[in-house]
Amino acid sequence: MGMICNFSGFKIYPGHGKTFVKSDSRSYRLLNGKCESLFLQRKKPSKLSWTIVFRRLHKKGQAEEAAKKRTRRTVKAQRAVVGATLDSIKAKKNQKPEIRASLRQAAVAKSKDAKKAAQDKKKAELTKVKAAQKGNVSKQQMKGAAPKVQAKSR
Amino acid sequence: MLLLKSLAKVIDNSGALVVEVINVMGGMRVASLGDEVVCVVKKARAATSDGAANAVSKLKKGDVARALVVRAAQRVRRLDGTFVKFDDNAVVMLSKQGAPLGNRVLGVVALEARQKRWAKIASLAPKMV
Repeated sequence: MGMICNFSGFKIYPGHGKTFVKSDSRSYRLLNGKCESLFLQRKKPSKLSWTIVFRRLHKKGQAEEAAKKRTRRTVKAQRAVVGATLDSIKAKKNQKPEIRASLRQAAVAKSKDAKKAAQDKKKAELTKVKAAQKGNVSKQQMKGAAPKVQAKSR
Repeated sequence: MLLLKSLAKVIDNSGALVVEVINVMGGMRVASLGDEVVCVVKKARAATSDGAANAVSKLKKGDVARALVVRAAQRVRRLDGTFVKFDDNAVVMLSKQGAPLGNRVLGVVALEARQKRWAKIASLAPKMV
């Protein structure tokens, strides 16, 4: 945030201007020699047509500023992406929530079925292996590892 | 920019009102904000008046004492590139050890007072610019 000249109203960039502290402890930032001189002559900025105080008072340049502000908004346009054409994006966007929910549920049910089928298959395989082996089998043996060697001497 | 023979206003309640510089400490020729000077009291508050009643040690006309320059009419450059200048030259009276003689400061004081380690005076000042 920059400083503003207390006289002209312009911005004071770093390295420019003077600060004048009056005997009543009020400090004034002045942009340049011109502002300083006029300030010390006790001229009123509201009477000098080039100052911002004057311009605001006499409503100069307001129309231009208002017009400038209006033209800033940009329109956002939806574009197609690799893997999704504009139509498919639009279709998905306009999908009714009920349809979307039902589609979702169907997908969930489908994955559940698939999962169940896989689990059943796994179970069947396990029972097969179990039947093939006799007696107490360790977990590792179930998985297919070689049987543990029994100790014959201490 | 206070030199030999420069007059300055005293803005504390030490009793002095106007002071004339007779020497600038530190071997400099010119005293600016935050510099110490030796000065002679040219005008003082009347000893019986209210103004001097609050003073810790009352200074009379003709007394020689040290002082710190806190306002200078000559512009001074700050490190951020701005220039500051005050409406007048003003000092705060000090003892030889560097402690302020008054216990109150009236008016604005420049930031240089704190920058040059005159913390006591900076704390007494009502406003620093």
